[in-house]
Amino acid sequence: MINTIAYGLTIGAILYIISIGLSLTFGTMRIVNFAHGFVYTIGAYLLISSLPFVRNNFFLGALIAVVAVIPISYVVERFVIRKLYGVSIDYAIIATYAVALIGVDLTKWIWGASPIPLSDPIGMDISIFSVTLPMYRVLIIALSLVIFGALTVFFKKTIIGKIVIASLEDKDAVKSLGINVDKYFSIVFIIGSCLAALGGVLYAPITSVHPYMGMMVLLISFAVVLVGGLGNIKGTFVSAFVLGMVMAITGRFWGPAAETMVFVVMGIVLIFKPVEV
Amino acid sequence: MERADTRLIKRSIWQYLDVPIIAVAFLIILPLLGINRTTDFIIFCIFVLGFNILYGFMGRLSFGHMLYLGTGAYTMTIFSEHISQNPLLAILASIVAGALIGVILGPIIVRTTGACFALINLAFCQVGFFLVLVAFSRQTGGEDGMSANFSKLSFLNFGNKAVVFGFVLFCLLLTYYFLKKFTSSPFGVLIKSIKENETRVKFLGYNTFTYKWVTFIISTTISAFSGALSILNYGYVTPSFIDPTRAVEVIFAALIGGSGSLYGSIIGGVVYMTISNYLASYIPRWEMFLGFALLVVVFRLRTGVWGFIVGMFNKRQKVLEG
Repeated sequence: MINTIAYGLTIGAILYIISIGLSLTFGTMRIVNFAHGFVYTIGAYLLISSLPFVRNNFFLGALIAVVAVIPISYVVERFVIRKLYGVSIDYAIIATYAVALIGVDLTKWIWGASPIPLSDPIGMDISIFSVTLPMYRVLIIALSLVIFGALTVFFKKTIIGKIVIASLEDKDAVKSLGINVDKYFSIVFIIGSCLAALGGVLYAPITSVHPYMGMMVLLISFAVVLVGGLGNIKGTFVSAFVLGMVMAITGRFWGPAAETMVFVVMGIVLIFKPVEV
Repeated sequence: MERADTRLIKRSIWQYLDVPIIAVAFLIILPLLGINRTTDFIIFCIFVLGFNILYGFMGRLSFGHMLYLGTGAYTMTIFSEHISQNPLLAILASIVAGALIGVILGPIIVRTTGACFALINLAFCQVGFFLVLVAFSRQTGGEDGMSANFSKLSFLNFGNKAVVFGFVLFCLLLTYYFLKKFTSSPFGVLIKSIKENETRVKFLGYNTFTYKWVTFIISTTISAFSGALSILNYGYVTPSFIDPTRAVEVIFAALIGGSGSLYGSIIGGVVYMTISNYLASYIPRWEMFLGFALLVVVFRLRTGVWGFIVGMFNKRQKVLEG
């Protein structure tokens, strides 16, 4: 039972790291970013490619992957997302989906379509309450808490964070103060993309890496964002862990249903709490 | 004055001739592509019409329309397996199933707009995919799918490909005619107004929920209809009929043809099928090509091919008039 809970917390932690970028992008720019899943995939692949150069040091490889995503996400933001401001939301969905399609094909071109397995980078176990857990999972949970704390401080204390929070409330009012909102939005976009890549890096040792891994995770993190509330930072945190638990508990009883159950929960939530977009 | 009159007459003739034009166009395509492919094209066009009534006319982008196609396809197969092998009855059952899923899911889905609408459709499609692939794999054949056998009718022998082609073409024309009447009726005008500004429609005293629900049901029904027809053509159902990742195909077809136009849907369907059938064998990086094409459509060609043609025609008309 404790194992299931620990598994749920791990999934919840990774889901939170991935979804927060999606939630912020939606809250600030009103864009549903399908390219997010592509960034997640490319993060995992960059980790695999960089491992031989850093003598298989997982943490250095992860750092390289996350940093290398910055220029990629900047290109996506500059040439696609920025042109979509104020356009009908359907076009934004389609355009970012197109970016995801291109990205998937690019990863297939460069790394091939077959899945690449990755082993647990730490390989140590830790025992909590007489239950042994892989050290790696405990680290992931801890890391997600650190990121949550860091983001909370970022949005409360720094001027960039404050501007972003203000634009979540009322973009036009912030603009009328003479602030170039778009610049801060691209910073938010890049932070979100880096976190998505980090999520991909962290999840890679738990599953295998393949070009379509982003799609399913993207759908689940959409569910997380919708349940938690669009652009709601705390709501995303709570819903990520709740849905992670849902996945773990369902998966314990009936493996294949785990991901579908997330959408059932999302459907129920949306029935009682329609989101006005 | 006289010139204006002749133009009016001309335009009305065009309006009455559209059904024969579509029929003739497909008959011209027929020898070029072969009967199997053309039948395939026509069925896809029906699906695009069903999708476009929701996207182009009501302005709701669904990212899970494969669910409704799959509902029709699986109902058709399972009906023929367990109840009756009469193909017409099976198609009727699929249409009823498509309407039913619209009636059941409609109240949940239709209340949302924009991104939420797209994603909740996608979520339901994912659930349907799971049900077919895993939960009911014993009844649906799981990943392998199952074949459908139909008995021969005395007046319609669906074993003959030419009969299937004729029947499918008739279905397309029927769907087109119905949608043409539907979109030009007051109901259709109201739906277009919902796309433009729903709040104002509500101010005028209309209960927009009912209108949206009915349109949604029409869309799901037509999609299920096209799913049933493709089973009639292939005789085999696989989970790819309900695969959520294929939702983009119909979106692309509707966009490239020009959303919000029935002609555009048919042109888009043909263009997409041509690209996916022929270009895929020449271009190895086919998904990437599709991605770039989508970006071009979104950024440069938002009215689609049909909108582009109409725009050119209007410009020429203006030049001619001086």
